[in-house]
Amino acid sequence: MNGTPYTPQRHINDHYDIVGFISSGTYGRVYKAVCKRTPGSSQPTTQAKHPDGRNIEAFAIKKFKPDKEGELQYTGISQSAIREMALCTELSHPALIHLVEIILESKCIFMVFEYAEHDLLQIIHHHSLLPRTPIPASALRSCMYQIFSGLLYLHQNWVIHRDLKPANIMVTSSGAIKIGDLGLARLFYKPLHALFSGDKVVVTIWYRAPELLLGSRHYTPAIDLWAVGCIFAELLSLRPIFKGEEAKQDSKKAVPFQRNQMGKIGEILGLPKKVDWPLLPAMPEFPNLQTVNMHNPGVNRPIGLDKWYRNTIQNNNYGGPQSPPPDDSALDLLKKLLEYDPLKRLTAEQALKHPYFTGDGKLPSWNCFEGLETKYPPRKVSTEAHEIGTGSLPGTKRSGLPDDSLLRPPQKKMRDG
Amino acid sequence: MAANYWDSTQAKFWTFTKPELVDMRKDLEKANQQLYNKYPLPDRRLMSIYIQQQLTKLGRRMSLRQQALATAQVYIKRFYLRVEMRKTNPYLIMATAVYLACKMEECPQHIRLMLGEAARQWPELGVSESSKIGECEFALISQLSSRLICHHPYRSLTELSPIFGLSNEETQLAHSIINDSYNTDLILLYPPHVLAIVAVFLAVVLRPAGQPAGLQAHSTHASASQQSPTQASPTSATGFSPTVSSSAAQQAFLGGFSGLKQAGPKLSKLVDWLAESKVDMNAVVDATQEMVSLYDVWESYSERACKEGITKFVKDGGTAGSSGVGPK
Ligand SMILES: Nc1ncnc2c1ncn2[C@@H]1O[C@H](COP(=O)(O)OP(=O)(O)OP(=O)(O)O)[C@@H](O)[C@H]1O
Ligand SMILES: [Mg+2]
Repeated sequence: MNGTPYTPQRHINDHYDIVGFISSGTYGRVYKAVCKRTPGSSQPTTQAKHPDGRNIEAFAIKKFKPDKEGELQYTGISQSAIREMALCTELSHPALIHLVEIILESKCIFMVFEYAEHDLLQIIHHHSLLPRTPIPASALRSCMYQIFSGLLYLHQNWVIHRDLKPANIMVTSSGAIKIGDLGLARLFYKPLHALFSGDKVVVTIWYRAPELLLGSRHYTPAIDLWAVGCIFAELLSLRPIFKGEEAKQDSKKAVPFQRNQMGKIGEILGLPKKVDWPLLPAMPEFPNLQTVNMHNPGVNRPIGLDKWYRNTIQNNNYGGPQSPPPDDSALDLLKKLLEYDPLKRLTAEQALKHPYFTGDGKLPSWNCFEGLETKYPPRKVSTEAHEIGTGSLPGTKRSGLPDDSLLRPPQKKMRDG
Repeated sequence: MAANYWDSTQAKFWTFTKPELVDMRKDLEKANQQLYNKYPLPDRRLMSIYIQQQLTKLGRRMSLRQQALATAQVYIKRFYLRVEMRKTNPYLIMATAVYLACKMEECPQHIRLMLGEAARQWPELGVSESSKIGECEFALISQLSSRLICHHPYRSLTELSPIFGLSNEETQLAHSIINDSYNTDLILLYPPHVLAIVAVFLAVVLRPAGQPAGLQAHSTHASASQQSPTQASPTSATGFSPTVSSSAAQQAFLGGFSGLKQAGPKLSKLVDWLAESKVDMNAVVDATQEMVSLYDVWESYSERACKEGITKFVKDGGTAGSSGVGPK
């Protein structure tokens, strides 16, 4: 007998109607879908249910691209897809995107997720449109609280997300945060292996923690907390706080020192010093740190987080009658997240106990839209090419994202080691 | 102990009671009665030993991590709970399980390298395109319902060794006992920490501190395994004998549970610790018994018998119904 013929047990098109196309990410295409309706009836043939009992009305189906476009052979599933499949199957938390099922069909992988109407990138963009309005303090606090809850769950389960950024944090129409895109996530309890060995580059550059920029081989969950610090700042100011340019890998495949990104951080925080970060001199790129100020003298006169925060609150029109500014404790939380020394950086558990959340005795709501008037536009779904078959669609630019996303740095990630 | 084991898919979906296992296998047998009659195979544990040894050889060639081999063995066990082995080519399943496990355990291997090494080791592999491994990967993941994260006893052992002050040698011995346990159903029956405790228990009884390996019949090359994490079982250099001899295991079992407390401070510490812990003692006793019985059946192991048993149905594959593993 030759081989092991594979016959799928379930077929995408038997169970879902594709509504349209959402996005073309690095590793796959995402479609919006609803439950299959029987012809002539408006009732779904089967009703998908969330483990908590409610019905799931809409789905986001992530179809993984075969390694080669139009590849008609089985080529082996990429490691990032395997990770995402395994982790999403294993994990379950209100602040994580819910995986409904995985269908393997026609040499493709379809991951069926619960649909989320918004994401933080889209929400940030909506507020940055003129007239610029700040994200309401209550929404901000609720978002951050939910993110930390999801992150605590991940870290308690030995998972580092490694790619936290506004686009990967989704928000449902009822204001629930859903952390998504676990394609880079990794289990970190494997003791034998330096986590560095698998993948050389992790985390989109603007959200990359200083220990990664300095070449650390033993990174920890703390890298996620730096990223969340950056996201917190971005929700406040509506722009990335450290908007550096990624240095490209040279032909020798050496990972370059990210001088520009380090400089952007330095302009606000100043460069890290040994007194604050005792293990700093042990970082592989430590010698390069001295060269940052030659390219970016701004790091010699950093503005400091206090001033950055005050400017941000002012420039974003916080303080009007409609939008009281966040509590002052927000600044303290931000400082403790954007802490250079990963050992001193707040953990998700500590963050949840920070006075910003616990201060006034009432914990934040699990609905970040509670009490808000703002209506955010629904996710853009293109209905032009919405068949989900095996054929390869033309490489579509991401839709549903603000134009400025085109200016985002290319996401250089090596997921497959 | 892994804080999250109890929430894991392993605990929730891939741990069974003994009667459940019996039923599942009965169903498989009923559905494939003809194949069973036509192709008798040695005891399931002996087949497991064969598979483990084959994987170990492959692992050595490819310098794979022990953890990846253990995960591959778990995948194979789970797969054959749902699919009749006689309908598959076990060598292809083994190659695919290793290929998948390596990705899960963060030591990915290229699919073509995997095919090349597997084909070199197993002429019976029967496939020459890597796409066959790719297709089999779909079948494997589908049968496993994408539940790919495995909790192994090794990590619990790492946590337990310092608690009981195990010597390096004792830890190594426990480690190889854990390797051996993959030849039983234990990983489908009990949480990994229970298996680690059993391994510690057997190791301590077999080699009380400061005493040479008195009870042991088979020499274990503990230090060798430390240098080479690819070795599935730090057994004697010539090959693959069990870590513990049958009689030694039996003695240990009887002795350990009936007042062998005076055997040494480590054992009495273990017994006290167990009494105070919430660990399921029935599980520990039963799992120990399973290990004793494994070492007993191991004495009758014949590589040839297993290999030939497989070769027969693989060769006849065409006539035996090459419907493969795709569910009908
Ligand atoms: N559950 C969902 N509901 C709605 N939209 C979703 C959902 N999951 C993903 N998307 C959309 O698809 C995009 C890409 O998804 P995802 O981040 O998982 O894929 P990716 O290939 O890793 O992309 P990238 O590398 O760009 O981050 C998201 O940014 C989001 O716009
Ligand atoms: Mg993404």
